[in-house]
Parts: sequence; structure tokens; C-alpha cells
Amino acid sequence: MKDYSGKIMEIDLSHGSIRIKDIEAQLVRQYIGGIGFNARILYDEIPIGADPFGEENVLVFAAGTLVGTPFPTASRSEASAKSPLTGGFGTSNSGAFFGLQLKTAGYDVLVIKGKSPQPVYISINDEDVKILSADSLWGKECWECVDYLEKKHYGSEIALIGPAGENLVRFASIENGRYDGWGRTGLGAVMGSKNLKAITVKGTKGRKAHDPQALLNAVKKGQQLIKSASSYHAFTEYGTLNASIPYSNFKAISAHNFTKGTLPNWKEIGGRPIVDRYGSRHVACQSCIIACGHWVELSEGKYAGIKMKDLEITPVMSFGATVGLNTEAIIKACELCQRYGVDMVSAGGVLGFAIELYKQGIISEDDVGFELDFGDDEAAFKLFHMIINREGIGDILAEGSKRAAEQFEQGDKYAIQVKGMEIPMIDPRGRWSTWTLGMLTNIRGGDHLRCRNPVENLRFNERDEEYRKERFGFKQTMYEKLDMPEELKRKTIDLENDITYIPEMSKWAEDLINLYNSVGICIRPPVMEKVGPTIIAEACQAFTGIEFTPAELMESAERTWNLIKLFNLREGEKAEASKFPRRFYEEELNGQVLDEGKIQKVLEIYYQLRGWDPKTGRPERATLKRLQLEQPGE
Amino acid sequence: MNSKKMGMRMKRIFVNAEACTGCGLCQLLCSVHKTGQWHPALARIKIKEMPELELNVPVLCLHCSNPPCEVYCVMNLIYKDPNTGYTLRREDKCIGCRACEIACPFSAAVMDPIREVVVNCDLCEGDPLCVSGCPEGALLYMEDSEAGERKRKAAVSLGAWRASRPRDGRGSL
Repeated sequence: MKDYSGKIMEIDLSHGSIRIKDIEAQLVRQYIGGIGFNARILYDEIPIGADPFGEENVLVFAAGTLVGTPFPTASRSEASAKSPLTGGFGTSNSGAFFGLQLKTAGYDVLVIKGKSPQPVYISINDEDVKILSADSLWGKECWECVDYLEKKHYGSEIALIGPAGENLVRFASIENGRYDGWGRTGLGAVMGSKNLKAITVKGTKGRKAHDPQALLNAVKKGQQLIKSASSYHAFTEYGTLNASIPYSNFKAISAHNFTKGTLPNWKEIGGRPIVDRYGSRHVACQSCIIACGHWVELSEGKYAGIKMKDLEITPVMSFGATVGLNTEAIIKACELCQRYGVDMVSAGGVLGFAIELYKQGIISEDDVGFELDFGDDEAAFKLFHMIINREGIGDILAEGSKRAAEQFEQGDKYAIQVKGMEIPMIDPRGRWSTWTLGMLTNIRGGDHLRCRNPVENLRFNERDEEYRKERFGFKQTMYEKLDMPEELKRKTIDLENDITYIPEMSKWAEDLINLYNSVGICIRPPVMEKVGPTIIAEACQAFTGIEFTPAELMESAERTWNLIKLFNLREGEKAEASKFPRRFYEEELNGQVLDEGKIQKVLEIYYQLRGWDPKTGRPERATLKRLQLEQPGE
Repeated sequence: MNSKKMGMRMKRIFVNAEACTGCGLCQLLCSVHKTGQWHPALARIKIKEMPELELNVPVLCLHCSNPPCEVYCVMNLIYKDPNTGYTLRREDKCIGCRACEIACPFSAAVMDPIREVVVNCDLCEGDPLCVSGCPEGALLYMEDSEAGERKRKAAVSLGAWRASRPRDGRGSL
């Protein structure tokens, strides 16, 4: 292994000990990197039933295999721990420059164990690793800490938590510098429970490729592929916001806590025009040729003076649709989330949940201290601060909507979550697709980022009564260029009848995204549309010198997915948990409710495709054997 | 020919910071070309992120006509190439004192931490990888006159020229 940085750094905060281990060749072969390493480490290290806030929880950061090369979008790193929000495998992916610094400091994986008796932060400078006191930083918001740490550790990248993580808000995030973060599943609270405020990393070691010329060729090919994607130009201009209007037209956005499907004037609040109006220059993560981020500056109005990287669809939907705020308030909400270290999706979900409880009369002004309404930004931000500081009703809401719902009569009806995690953006009653089935099958709960159809067509929204298929809708060339084994492609997409089969595509998409998260590339649509296992195998091979075939890579991604499923089952996940909130089956939206029985049938097809038991969703022994995941003693 | 006269016709790298997204590809390509390793710290081009200006600015050697580094080099290693007008150096003799780095108003001369010598952009013998590898066209490799021409063209198309003329349109400068 010529250039696998090839080191795991293990820091035990309980004892203040630091250990550096080599990565075994077997681990690289089987799990590639990134989320794969995380899955194996968490499965091996966390005892069953461990308290997410306890000493035995383990927090792992791993940079993807290709991070540090110019391969397009290779910037991403994965953070994982047992989630305080879902109780299962908690994991989140972030771009920017942290992964690059971690890799060039000489480490693929950073494992944090134990619990420090007092607030500390970790500073990594190649081999020089220190655990330093964070007394002066504790309680401060993120941007202030970044300013301080950037001065003190010049040139370092910083992962840190804000007051939300310190106060163990169950959906706190770990922030990645000022503007990015590992948002979902409450990893910030895990970091807070370990009394760890921040990690600064600076690396000075260059990385050598096994075959530099071959790698450059793969990079060039990768860039050309992405540039040829149908969504490339739209993405370089408007980023993720491209999807905002189509979903609103389908009446499938999370408006007012999933009661409306769309909002009047949504185009002006949360569509592409807001990029023209508020955005300025584009910002990229390391090695990215898409640059979907924008600098935003608010020069006038109530929130004048905000300057940040923003205008992504997820926060826009979360605060614009779910909570009903206007664009300037959305930008303010993003700023608050980043300063205080909160997951934007869950924050919006919990605020929307609270507002609806208020509107339904389940909680009153006496409980909250002030009035709540959709679209009232001042009240929403007041409540936001109460959640961060766990004051009054905020203390209940900080537990996440599922736990909070247990405190209120009929609460579960208004808590829009799957397995404890708040659902983002889209309403499956408005549009049923691979994406929405993915919210049920996702290994981290109600989330949209681990299963996306690489060839999703946003021009059509035809509902299949059996929930089994969606319209393909592209020309034959798109089908031909999709990098997928031929036989599987024929089973997944029926070109003649213009159909994509949802369960088949879900499995492929989940494994593909898992592969992306292993090698550290991004899941933006232009990448997903064109970059498949073939080109990734070429790049990985050129970089590491290990021979990977595309099929092996996909198998290892599947292995990781199965291992995470085993982790969740071990923690007591039930098959019944793969279910949408009650509202989606009971309350009509656009005259539609979801049919629980039919969705269950589709799930069963999906389980069978995965080689899992169709009733319990547990991987069959033969599947585990095929993936070399058998438990010792079985 | 005198290097200063050559200066007008030499090709240089011009920076269009408005287009830079900060993806850092130029840094990686530079470092691997020059050192065989991937790392922004080894690159001769550095991107400065300026959130307060909402800008990312690539900084690299501008090959000045009167380079202060040339004056400050105690070992006399820095010279203007008589044919191209580029500011070059004999890296093998460098003692790593970094006086040139400090003297440069842009700090565009940078320490190569592997060899412990100071280096600057040498334009890759006429085929700079950072330029060909920039996905946004933020780096341009061209003659000064062409860069000036482009800038003038851009200014004119923005209406700056029209604005400078009197309203009646006859132009009586």
C-alpha cells in the first residue's frame, strides 16, 4: 500500500492517551475507507446498548480514500458515532477542507474514545498531537471559537461544536470550520458528552500516488464525465436549489410541518431567484469543479450584516417550508444553526413540530412564554435559543421531536420523523420515488442523503398505484451511459416502458452513495449521474496501487451497508420502525394518503433484493457469508 | 535583448479572482508536478480565502519587472531570464533564509518544506498546469498585451465607455 496514509489515530480522552496504529491491509480491501472504516470500527468497539452520551461511545472521523487528490469533488470525510437521536448508527458526511488536512497529517481515521473530565480540544500537527484545555472556549459560539483557534493554530482546519453540543441537544451538529458541518444524527452532542470542544488539524505531508499519470488521466476523465452531465450547468449556477421549484410544483415540499405541500409565492421565497437576489460568488470545496455554494451577504433589512456561505436547498426547505420563514429569515436561521452548532434539518423539523402543537392547542402560550406561528421568525428564533440553552419547553424539544412527542397528547401525529430523525424537505404523499423509499430504508433514519436515484427525472411525477416504479423519462443515451452492470441495469430500468423500478434502484443508489462516502466524493446530481464504480475503481487503483474492480468496490459498499444494518439491529431496531409518521397514512395531501400495506410490499421486495429476511429486514446468513460478515461462533 | 523590454511581450499568469471558487485544484496540480506529492502546502500557487470580500484570490509570483527578491537574495541566486523575462532562481544553491519571501510584497516566493529551499512559480516551461487545470477559468496564461486587451473589452462591454461620453452622444472630448 504505497499511499494509503495508512494510520489510525486513537485518542482516549479518559486517560489522555494517544495511540497510532497501522491500518490493516484487510480493512482497506474490505471497506475501502471513509464510512466503511467507521462502520467496522464502531461495530467492533461500541458495546451493545451503550449510552450514546457515555464513556463507551466512540466518535470516528475518516477521510475518504481519494481525498487529497484532484479527483473531482474528492473532499469529503465521514464522522460517525452511536447516535443520541436515533439510538442507532449515527453518521454524517461533510466536505470543505478538513479531510484533506487529516489525510496530509498522515491519518485516515481519527478515533475518539472515553470522556474527558474537563473541557478540552485536540490539536493535531502531523505527529504532534496535544490535548489542550478548552476552558476559555466552552460556552462560546462556533464562529468565535474558529476565530480564536485559527489565530492560535494557523493554517489548521477545525471541527468543533457550539453551545448546542455542549448542552447535549440531541440534534446538535459538529461544525466543519465556519460554514460546513457534519449535521445529522446528533454527533455534536456526542462530542459534547465527551467534553471535547474542538479538533484542529494541520498536515504538511504530501501524498504520493502509486501511478501519478494514471491518476491524472482518471481525474481528467472524471471531470469530463461530470461536465457532460445534464444537470451540470444548472448546478454550477444555482446549486441544489434547482430542485426547489419542481418539488413545490408537485405539491411535495414540507410546507408548515408537512400540512400544505406548497406555499404561495414559493418561487420568490425559496426558488432559484433567491440565488440571483442574495447570492454572489460561487464557493467550492476541495477539488470540486461544480462549486454549488454561494457567498451570501445581507446588506439591508432586519438581518443586515450577515455574510456567509449559504443557499442550499436543505436549509431553505427546512426553515422556509417547514417553519414558513421568509428568505432573509432563512439566511438568519442558517447563521444561527452554524453559530450554535445545530443540524438544520432537525432544527427546522422540531420548530415546525412545536409550532403545530401550538396551533393545535396542545401547548399554549403559558407553556412557551410567547405566541408561535408559522412564518413568525422572531418567535421561532426565541424558541430556537430556548432549545439551545435547554430552557423551559426548549428542554423537552432539545430531545428531538420523537422523544418530545411522548410528552404531549397526540404528539406523535405531528412529529414528522422516521426512527427518531426528522424528515427533510419532501413529502412522500406529493411525490413517491426512489428518494422517498430511501427515507425508510436509510440506515440513519429519516433522511434523504443516502439514497438518491442517479437518473431521477424531475419533469414527471406520475404516481404508481403499487409504489413500485417511477418514470425514467430520459433518452436512450442516458440509459446507455449510466455506469451500472448491464444485467442489473436491465432489471432496474425498463427502457421500453420508460420505467425505473424503485426497490431495485434504491439498492443500487444506496450502495453507490456508500461507495462515494467511502472514497470521499460528493453526491451532487451531476456526479451521481455520471460517476460510477468504473471510474472510481480506476482512480482508486492509480492512487493506492491496490487492484480494485468496480464489482469489488460495489460489494464493499454493500458490505458496509449490511454491517451498519447489523449494528442497528444489534441496538434493537425493529422492522416496524421503517415506517413513516402517522400523518402520511392518515391525513390527505393533494387528495393522497400513503398506503401502508403497499409500501410494506415494496419494502419486502427491497429486503429480498438485499438478501434480507422480507419480514424482519435482518440480513440472511447466506448474505452475510457472501459478504464475509459472519459473526465468529455462528 | 534587455529583459525589461521583453517584459511587454512575455506571457504571464493572470488571475481573475472573480471566477475563483477556492476548489484548490491548482494547488494540488502544482504540488504534484513540482514535487511528485499532493499537498497545497507544497504548491507555488496559494489560494487566499477572503470571506470579508467574498473572494478567493490565487496568489503566485507575478514576475515583476523590478523584483525585490532579486535585490534581497544574499546568495545572488535570483535573476531575470534574458529570453523570457521571468524571475528565476538557482534553487540548488538556496540556503533557505527566506529573505526573498519576506521581501516579496505578495509573499509569492514560498518555502518548499521537503527540500527546505525557497521556490517561486516558474510557469512550468510555458505550460502551466494550474492554468490548464482550473475548471473555472480563473487563471489565464497570456501576454500582458492580450490581458490588457481583454480587460478593456470587458470594461467596454460593461458600458463604462458609454458612461464616460457626454449625453448627446457626439463625444466632444
